[in-house]
Amino acid sequence: MTEVSIEKLTKDYGQGPAVNSISIRIAEGEFISLLGPSGCGKTTTLKMIAGFEDATEGAIRFDGRDVVHVPVEKRDIGMVFQNYALFPHMTVEKNLAFGLEMRKTPKDEIRTRIARVLDMVQLTGYSERYPRQLSGGQQQRVALARALVIEPKILLLDEPLANLDAKLREEMRVFIRDLQRRVGITTVYVTHDQAEAMTMSDRVVVMFGGRIAQIGTPSDIYERPANLEVAEFVGQVNIVRGKVGNRIVSTAFGDIPVSGDHAAGTELMLALRPEAVELLPVSSGADGVPAKVLSSYYSGSLVDYRLELAGGATVSVQTFPRTRFADGDQVLVHAPADRFWPLGSAA
Amino acid sequence: MSKPFFTVYCLIIYAFLLAPIAVVVIASFNAGAFLTFPPQGLSFRWYVVFFNNEVFMRAIRTSLWIAALTMVISGIIGTMAAMFYVTHAGKLKETVRVAMLAPLLLPEVLTAISLLFFVYSVGLGTQNLVGMIVGHVLITLPFVFINVSASMESYDPAWSLAAQSLGAGRFTRFRRIMLPLIKPGVIGGCLFAFIISFDVFTISFMLKGVGMSTLPIQLFDYLRTNFTPEAAAVSTCSIMLTMAVVIVSEKVLGLRIHRF
Repeated sequence: MTEVSIEKLTKDYGQGPAVNSISIRIAEGEFISLLGPSGCGKTTTLKMIAGFEDATEGAIRFDGRDVVHVPVEKRDIGMVFQNYALFPHMTVEKNLAFGLEMRKTPKDEIRTRIARVLDMVQLTGYSERYPRQLSGGQQQRVALARALVIEPKILLLDEPLANLDAKLREEMRVFIRDLQRRVGITTVYVTHDQAEAMTMSDRVVVMFGGRIAQIGTPSDIYERPANLEVAEFVGQVNIVRGKVGNRIVSTAFGDIPVSGDHAAGTELMLALRPEAVELLPVSSGADGVPAKVLSSYYSGSLVDYRLELAGGATVSVQTFPRTRFADGDQVLVHAPADRFWPLGSAA
Repeated sequence: MSKPFFTVYCLIIYAFLLAPIAVVVIASFNAGAFLTFPPQGLSFRWYVVFFNNEVFMRAIRTSLWIAALTMVISGIIGTMAAMFYVTHAGKLKETVRVAMLAPLLLPEVLTAISLLFFVYSVGLGTQNLVGMIVGHVLITLPFVFINVSASMESYDPAWSLAAQSLGAGRFTRFRRIMLPLIKPGVIGGCLFAFIISFDVFTISFMLKGVGMSTLPIQLFDYLRTNFTPEAAAVSTCSIMLTMAVVIVSEKVLGLRIHRF
């Protein structure tokens, strides 16, 4: 198992940095996702860790040893590509043997290791097939097996689920995560899909414009986003504005206590996730802000509401569909004070 | 176009293409002393004459040698050029393509004359085969380039990257991954190079040394003073040889070429 440390890593193609002095410490056996929109530098970062791109500045250390000048083929990485990149002229077995042959592994050991890895990815019996005879999901698993069979220091995955259909994608998320836990390999996973990053990772690195916006556990990222951009990128969010008073913010939902230094009198933005909000009928007489239902979308497990508060602001709310409200209904909106998260001063 | 009409149309085109060859082949079995059609009686007489004609045999050997060397050199340079063109040329892509195809666009006789000047100005002269092979490589290069770059277009660069991530160095990546996958284009290009080199007249004529000759030149020389069916026998052998190269490579390599 390998600890990976990225220090002040920068890549500049000549038109300003694509990756701007990022530092990440990845613990042994940790699953880290690089999450961000296209062009945020996540793929460039992965390519630098793999060695396909030279770093303009900074260091990449595997267990303390700087590998920046080690060529890809000597770096001992396992890489899974977006389109799998299985060798089309080789059977599954030959694809898996390739990396071991490069390492001059003895023939019988190659055979036993291939059998073991095929069992691990549940493809025993497929060794004589050619990649084109396999489904997308099977090709994906062969690609994983090919990267793992060489027992590399680190596993790198570049949007490996992007070409699969939705149902298979969810299965593969769980599959990859379980496999990674069992093998215990340090893993870097690149994706633009926040749900993927959240469900699979120990920690998520959110990147925008070549910089790291936040590093944290999935719940950190979702519940305590570092700024507006992160809050909006990982899931839906309501932005509630309010005036800062003495350790409180006055909003349409009442006075919300906030910690930290916020100059009194300034306007502050608070994040409120749609599922943190409760909707109650007016007749309940409960504590809540009156609002009118503008629209609602039923999606089976959840209902999405758009509401207009008495003050004119609109809010998105997600609830379980036990009690349904019709468009135009008057409701009470209850948002617990501890579900608001300060994002910073409003511009 | 209706189906029977289309069939007839195709047959006419094939007849038009193949009739001259058929005439030559049939005329080569002529028992008479002159190249006439239809032949006067059938015989292998002129084949015997041809196989005992040391001048022709030497010309065939020279041609085969040149064609083989041309094929190898052109195959290597053309494949490397195609790899550069597809993966590294970047903004120069169009320029590289036009430059590589230039020998096809220029009249062969102009290329031949310029080459003649060239080999003398660099002191190479025409005493040996080097100048001639340079010329043959030059005009066969576009065919290798076109074939290989066509098969490179369907080559996914990620295959090389994957091999690299698995620990394969530059040469292993080429030999074990890229070459097997672009093999159809390489073999097709090499075959073209061989056949064209075997067949080319103008360049060989300009760049040949004194007393040296390739089969097409020897044939041309022969026909200036003789008009026997031996010429047809030579042509027939040349056609058979070319066909043999194509068929053998299709049969022996062809099946393996297309099987992934």
